[in-house]
Amino acid sequence: MIAISTIILSFVGALVCGLMPARQHRSIRWVALGFAVAGLAAAICCWQRYLPSTEFSENFADVINADWIPSLGARFHTGYDGISLPLLLLTGLVAVCGVLFTWTLDKRANEFYAYYFALIGGVYGVFLSLDLFLLFVFYEIAVVPKYFLIATWGSTRRHFAAMKLVIYSFAGSGLVLLGVLAIYFSAGTFNLHLLLSREHFTPGFQAIVFPILFVGFAILAGMWPFHTWAPTGHVAAPTAASMLLAGVVMKLGAYGCLRVAIGLLPSGAKVWAPLVAGVAVVNIVYGALVALRQKDFKYVIGYSSVSHMGFVLLGLATLNATGMTGAVMQMFSHGVIGALLFALVGGVIYTRTKTRMLDEYDGLIDRMPAIAWLFIVAALASMGLPGFSGFVSELYVLLGAWGSKNLWGSQYGWIVVGAGVGILATFGYTLVKIHEAFFRTRDTAPGNGEPTASYEPLTIPEMVGCGLLLGSALLIGLCPWLLTNTISASLNFFVERLAN
Amino acid sequence: MDYELLIWALLPDLVVVIGIFAALGIDYGWLRNRDLPDRNSKIANLVSWSLFLGLVGMVFQGMSASEFNYAAGQLVFSSTRYALKAVIFAMAIFVVQLSAREPVTGQVSEYYALLLLATLGMGFVITSENLLGAFVALELVSLSLYALTALWRRNRPSAEAALKYFTFGGVSSAFMLFGFSYIYGMTGSLDLRGITGAFAAMPVLPPVLLTGWLLVLVGLGFKIAAAPFHAWAPDVYQNAPTPAAAWIATGSKIAAIMLLVTLLEPAISAPEESPLRIALGVALAGLAVVSMIGGNLAALRQTNLKRLLAYSAIANAGYLLVGLVALSNDGRAAVLFYALVYSMATLGAFAVVSLIGGRLGRDAEINDFRGCWKTMPGMAGLMFFFILSLAGIPPLAGFVGKYYLFLAAIQSYGDISSWSEGWYWLVALALVMSVVSLYYYLKVLKAFLVFDEDGRPEVEIDPVVRMALIILAMGVIAMGLFPQPVLDIFIAAG
Repeated sequence: MIAISTIILSFVGALVCGLMPARQHRSIRWVALGFAVAGLAAAICCWQRYLPSTEFSENFADVINADWIPSLGARFHTGYDGISLPLLLLTGLVAVCGVLFTWTLDKRANEFYAYYFALIGGVYGVFLSLDLFLLFVFYEIAVVPKYFLIATWGSTRRHFAAMKLVIYSFAGSGLVLLGVLAIYFSAGTFNLHLLLSREHFTPGFQAIVFPILFVGFAILAGMWPFHTWAPTGHVAAPTAASMLLAGVVMKLGAYGCLRVAIGLLPSGAKVWAPLVAGVAVVNIVYGALVALRQKDFKYVIGYSSVSHMGFVLLGLATLNATGMTGAVMQMFSHGVIGALLFALVGGVIYTRTKTRMLDEYDGLIDRMPAIAWLFIVAALASMGLPGFSGFVSELYVLLGAWGSKNLWGSQYGWIVVGAGVGILATFGYTLVKIHEAFFRTRDTAPGNGEPTASYEPLTIPEMVGCGLLLGSALLIGLCPWLLTNTISASLNFFVERLAN
Repeated sequence: MDYELLIWALLPDLVVVIGIFAALGIDYGWLRNRDLPDRNSKIANLVSWSLFLGLVGMVFQGMSASEFNYAAGQLVFSSTRYALKAVIFAMAIFVVQLSAREPVTGQVSEYYALLLLATLGMGFVITSENLLGAFVALELVSLSLYALTALWRRNRPSAEAALKYFTFGGVSSAFMLFGFSYIYGMTGSLDLRGITGAFAAMPVLPPVLLTGWLLVLVGLGFKIAAAPFHAWAPDVYQNAPTPAAAWIATGSKIAAIMLLVTLLEPAISAPEESPLRIALGVALAGLAVVSMIGGNLAALRQTNLKRLLAYSAIANAGYLLVGLVALSNDGRAAVLFYALVYSMATLGAFAVVSLIGGRLGRDAEINDFRGCWKTMPGMAGLMFFFILSLAGIPPLAGFVGKYYLFLAAIQSYGDISSWSEGWYWLVALALVMSVVSLYYYLKVLKAFLVFDEDGRPEVEIDPVVRMALIILAMGVIAMGLFPQPVLDIFIAAG
């Protein structure tokens, strides 16, 4: 029951916040914080109680399996394992921090949090679903609120960006639905536990359905060439929404790729893995190079998200335990650090400087030293600084890629080399952009002659938010076994199926 | 002949007929010299009560429900038919109440009498399995609706739309009647059971019989506004009095779909390889493709909300036909479920348009609803659910309906590895078009919920209408979250 209380809490939160009068935005934010923290607490409880098992029948914990729509074969079937666990934690964490970083929101706060929690409820639901139909329902629930969050509270070209994001997402879910129908008609069940425990599909079927499902999910994960919704959407979104988008929603796609596409169709995955890996490397390199060229600070972070999601896809494409563990770790790691970077750029720095254009920043390192150093640490963490979670996860992914029979062991070995180039490009744009943003003083400042004033320091909610996100990145960076143990225990079942 | 049984079966309709005469009599008698709004609201209430009593009678009938087939299928009752007829009556009350606040015409009682006649006709279409009975009932619906369309005195294009509707409708009825005559000629029966039996006994399919069915498809394609027989819909939806347009979009759609499903019965029960099945499947798929593509693409460009709803109706007729291509029992249940769900959402959307747009004194453009969330948050919130259900977003009923349609289409041949057989390509097209449709649905919601504009007048909403709207929205949500009880009604029809 604890696991689905995350879903229930979110939807109740949406309802309660939505029904509160808009002028009480002060009480609404406390209510919102309450629901977000309760969700995080429930996720932490799940984490505490989960014991990895070597028996597949005991892999999923806290299972609820109830009748729902018998005529359509759909059941309300939920539970979690070592793969969904870090993502539950991530969702809870980002949800809390999203509220903290939009603490001063007063425009239509009731509606904002109604959409916000509806989105979070959908995300929890996807991570907990063990029924393919239910998973799809939650997957779509998570799309619509994004439109309104961006179109109503967003910035740069918000209507365009919101529509683009939603159309891309729905195109993806259309593909997913097609794949889900094919699976249902071939196997006769939506039950993921059953589907994951047996071999249901012929190799020919898998080779056809795998790309449909994988691409459908990967659109949401920001896979090149379907990534273009991500930067525009992230940039236009209000801070909390872009944290959720980059932190959590892109992981929905990656989670679907892993759980549904690779999990159910292992031999299809083997056929397509080299292509997926190739695309993943394009993601990494292309995202990094485009980030290097951006003038808008938020676009830099937007493209860096695309680049980092490339590591997730590369990890998935390795199809071995190390690489896929790295992929899940990277989902968590990028979720935390990406959300922090968006919060700093779109929220903390923007509210002070009132601009996101890198050319207009003037000596920020002196005028907001604490924030600047916080950003630098976060950016280095995102780049893969040892000690933070990004280092561990990218290391796992690369080790997995070198060790993968499907990649380095085959004629597609050059792909792995490409990933190395991507890492160099990541170093490049991170350092260049840190320099441009903080260490450059402009010769012709608009207030020429006036003493450059310092910006106000971090507020308490911002401090707590930064602390939570950076702290968890550090914690997982120093003690990766907190997550890797459970992740690899559950991934073992996938790997066994892939080995056959 | 068992008159007692017949009167019992027709009790709800009799009550409504009495209501019609009472309305006409009272309007021309007592209320003769009253002012228009007073007459309008009094007659509307009278008519609503007669519909309500009819509804109560139907609930009693439904509880003591027996399968009932009278006069060679002219009057057939089953749980599905009871349910749909009751839904039609309930929706009719809502439509009447929508008209109650704002008189569209000086001919008050005629307006309501026509609305009720259309409602009665829909009831008879639903409970008929006889070609002749169904045709007469369908004409009763159509003639009433033609006249209703022309009744909007303040709106000049109303007459033009009615003429268009009438000419198209007349031709399509002729097609259908022609088709009926072929079917009757080949099978020697007007009763669907007789037709099914005669058809099953035929060793080969006579081309004339197939022609008959295709002609029927043309006629019914017009009634459900499937492309390429849709040309009347945008004008009629836009220019008919808004409550009447709502009734054309919902009630007549449910009735026509029920008739279509009934008339396809011989093909549904035919064996897998029957040429009639294959031919009808292809014809239905063709209509579905044209409707989905035409309706969705045309809707993208609309700025008038009622016109947009018309194109969305065309697109939705396409989705409905997708569920029928497999000609299966699941398809029948799926189509009826979707028709119901679609009608609820559309009725809600029309009601919101009518309530808010009615005060503008001109046709409501989508942009006229900007900033609606500020002055009328409740209405905007309800619109959110209606439109998203039309778009097929879970967990609303529209999603379950669409999913079930697609499921039914694929079911006949579930193997995806062979694209040439089975209907995966059709479902894929429907999914693509659903994505397209999201663009214009979200455009509507953007006006209602996103734009920050002041100066919108606040409209007072009648409590009865508000209650009904809330019930509709709850229905759309509940049938999405727990569709099983409703699905059971339609699947049981088997």
